[in-house]
Amino acid sequence: MNLFTKPMRLLTAVVLQQRSDQVVKALLQLGVLDFIHISRLEADQLAKLSSKPSTTNRVVLEDLRGRVEALLKQGHLSLPGESTLDVSLLEEPQVEAYRAVLDDLTQTLLALKEKQKVANQALLGVEEMRRYFTESKWEYLDLRIGSVKEGKSEQLTEKLSPYGAFVEPIDEEFVTVLSLRRDIAQVDPLLDKFGWTEESDPLLQKQAVVLVRSRLETEHKRLIDKRGEIEQSVKRAIVERKEELFAIWSNLRLNELSDQIKSYFSYTRNTALFSGWVPVDQAENVRNAIVEASGGQCVVEWTEATEVPRESVPVAVTSPKALEPFQKIVNNYSTPEYGTVNPTIFVMIAYLAMFGLMFGDVGQGLVLLLVGMFGSRSYRLNPEKKEGLLTRNVTNLLVYLGLSSMLFGALFGSYFGLPLLPPLWFNFEAAVEGHAPATALVHDVYGILGITIKFGIAVIYTGLVLNWVNLFRKKSYVTMLLDKNGVVGGVLFGTGIYMAFGFVGSGYHSFPSDPWIIPTLVICLVLLFAKPYVQHVVDLKHNRASKTFGQVAAGSIMEFLVDVLEIFTGYLSNTLSFMRVAGLGIAHASLMGTFKYLQSMVGGVGGVLIFIAGNLLVIVLEGLSSGIQSLRLNYYEFFSRYFTGRGIAYRPVGLKRSSSDNR
Amino acid sequence: MSSVDTYGFINAKMRARLGKMREEAVTEALLRAPTLVDAIAALRPTRYVALTRSYDQSGDIQAIELVLLKMEIALYREIAQYLDGAEGRFIAELLGKIEIDNLKNSIRLWYSSIIHRRPIRHRSEYIFKEVILHPVDWTALINALSWDGVVQATENTPYRSILLQHTEDSLREDGLFQLESRLDRIWYEEIRKATSLLKKLDRQKALELLDQEIDLKNLLILVRYGWYHRLEQEELLSLLLPWGEVFESKEVHHYIETPKENRSARDLLSHFLPAEHRIGDSSAVEEVLRIEELLAQNQKKAYQRLLAGDPFTIGIALAYFFLNKEEFNRIKAILNGKYYGFDEGYIRGVIG
Repeated sequence: MNLFTKPMRLLTAVVLQQRSDQVVKALLQLGVLDFIHISRLEADQLAKLSSKPSTTNRVVLEDLRGRVEALLKQGHLSLPGESTLDVSLLEEPQVEAYRAVLDDLTQTLLALKEKQKVANQALLGVEEMRRYFTESKWEYLDLRIGSVKEGKSEQLTEKLSPYGAFVEPIDEEFVTVLSLRRDIAQVDPLLDKFGWTEESDPLLQKQAVVLVRSRLETEHKRLIDKRGEIEQSVKRAIVERKEELFAIWSNLRLNELSDQIKSYFSYTRNTALFSGWVPVDQAENVRNAIVEASGGQCVVEWTEATEVPRESVPVAVTSPKALEPFQKIVNNYSTPEYGTVNPTIFVMIAYLAMFGLMFGDVGQGLVLLLVGMFGSRSYRLNPEKKEGLLTRNVTNLLVYLGLSSMLFGALFGSYFGLPLLPPLWFNFEAAVEGHAPATALVHDVYGILGITIKFGIAVIYTGLVLNWVNLFRKKSYVTMLLDKNGVVGGVLFGTGIYMAFGFVGSGYHSFPSDPWIIPTLVICLVLLFAKPYVQHVVDLKHNRASKTFGQVAAGSIMEFLVDVLEIFTGYLSNTLSFMRVAGLGIAHASLMGTFKYLQSMVGGVGGVLIFIAGNLLVIVLEGLSSGIQSLRLNYYEFFSRYFTGRGIAYRPVGLKRSSSDNR
Repeated sequence: MSSVDTYGFINAKMRARLGKMREEAVTEALLRAPTLVDAIAALRPTRYVALTRSYDQSGDIQAIELVLLKMEIALYREIAQYLDGAEGRFIAELLGKIEIDNLKNSIRLWYSSIIHRRPIRHRSEYIFKEVILHPVDWTALINALSWDGVVQATENTPYRSILLQHTEDSLREDGLFQLESRLDRIWYEEIRKATSLLKKLDRQKALELLDQEIDLKNLLILVRYGWYHRLEQEELLSLLLPWGEVFESKEVHHYIETPKENRSARDLLSHFLPAEHRIGDSSAVEEVLRIEELLAQNQKKAYQRLLAGDPFTIGIALAYFFLNKEEFNRIKAILNGKYYGFDEGYIRGVIG
């Protein structure tokens, strides 16, 4: 894991045009180059370069790949992933041939779907009759028994089929006809044509009802099976051509990526020129790959990141896989600036500490841990599983949250809200309910509030120190020393804290009157006021001043006032904001206390049920709010001190993230 | 309760959904799909996944249309449950329009079966048969052996009185057109009554939109039946919805009173359409379709304006329903177009 963002190096390479395809393949295989367009060259040099029109239209490739993916989805097949991509198999895309394959398969599917439609409509007809039969809605049905004197019953069946009527022989002489009464005006003349003679024997009628019911059931099942078979045929038709579709998909995707890389190439008459960012630890690999692919006929030059404006360098941060949930929390916010601290490990510590303070309970933590572990395992065993409310990342995060909750639960002596073992630190619930012994380390809610405020101060100071480190690395010494989030801001914050604790210590009567306080405040405010002027002098010295002295002077007063306002209100509100940690913790303990009280009132099995339901409710609701509040404190109170989020992410072109779903 | 309390939640919810609608860009993905199979696949990652399940199982576009209708009904019910009192009742009343369309479809099926003596077999299963707003007995209606049976199926609904004005013989003679027009009209009567319970601002917004819709419908009736089909004065007047600016305008009365051979749609529309949208005066089908499209575009613009206006009125819900309905209709049209093998350009031309 890197404590800072990964150092980067800018590659510029020239290869012979005739070897450029091999170079593209090699770079695609490595997948570590974040390409940039050649625009840093002098104008006259740029004029000599030309871009080469692509031999393939990437939109066409994407459309065709979309069609392949659509067919695979129709066949309920997983989309091919990066594992199926093999650069050595990259070949010229046979667009027309691919299109022919897809058209052919689509036509097969459409023909099957048409059959399925017919089967479905026949099924709907039978379902209607069957429903009326089952619900005894005889007023909609017409069941009759009789004999056919002219023609055969098979012919009658055929004639009545447009109306969905059933003709079922009862014995050699009599048949029964079931139709819908609304069709009677059409069915009657047809029956007359066949010399229908009605029979009213009650025994035959009973037989007819049984026969027709059985026929309806058989027909219903047959049609459902038929419809299902066609659905399976659709899947089979696709599965049978799975390999072909996968091959087409892979080649299309490889060509898209290859085309994407080529789009960054610029050409002279005989050479191809390209440029891109590479992490320093990959630089040698990239150089070797280019040399090998070009048969040594290339020129590779490197530019260090320090030689270009910091904001144009892409940022790569690496964290161990175990810290992935916290890396995602950082990524979700923004990308750190190049060369600054990678905040992941600090976020992890702060997040888990906040969560544990709000949701400390060994039993409930164990539940979170188990949910997280089972969830993660389920995703591991079934990589194609669709993400639900508990996403992959959330299940991974739950493992950590569960452990944090268990640790703090042991410190507070809480096991599903019960004091099964003595606390290692202090009894949180007793402190909340006001029956903690006077000898306890913390014995009331004020003590809890005090702990969280101190915790907040520690978090804010950590943020400030990280900011100073970042500014030092960026060589922004003036800002590091004189900014509101610099050393001056830190001293003012520390002085404020000292005064606030003194005020509380005096029983809210008076502020401390140490002789160093006033001079410290005055010096800090003067330095804060002087910041724009000092910065202007430094800028002048380095020939990068963009303002005149007059402009600096005009802006300095307003800047000073805003900074002072921000220091006094911002630091105060940020610090007090950490009281929410105590608030959530107190709410957690109070809810558990309430459920335990309800349980004791009800007793027996009901009491146990209340206890279980209470725990579940607290795990879901409190767990959710603690998670959200921890996130909020990290994003606003912690990040605002040091994380500018002005970096641009490092996005190399490679074989990863290849299906449409992932992009 | 303030309008922010009433509409704050649904405003946020509906705007988030509208954002998702735009993000998914379903219509565009469907249009670009070369075949029906590809179009169905384009629906899989969207909120229309239920449609793809229906198609996988049945292979039938009409089954998809029924699923869309159910989605639309569920949409109204969901929003209605987020609103209490008059606002909730008003939203529920909007379902009446879907109910009337369902009733018209059911009566058309009955008509086909009993009057034209054509088998309706599976087609009756594509009718939505649960209660929408009033207790219409849909199964009894479709299976009715006579017009009396149809009337009986609409007992305890406002539609019965309309149906009673017709007989089986009159329908056999004149067709369903007059009946359907009266059914349309009754919805506007009912919904206008429901607006009276709303707060002043909501009432104004709702009536403004309703009157605009009525104006568009009346213009279409005037063009289609007064100019293209050349109906007589009284007959034409009976078709018009008796509300809105168009109905009350002098120009329209003059148009109706003009001998049917001399009526000019261009003169009529020049009073109601911007100058750049003037039309020709040849009674061509294309011209009528163009006018319809133009009026629909105007209506869409009005709803889009609503979205940009005060977010805490009933207007946001009405705009949401309109945009959803529009998307549902486009999906139906495109899927049918793909089914019949029309190309992208043609379908684009048809759906506008």
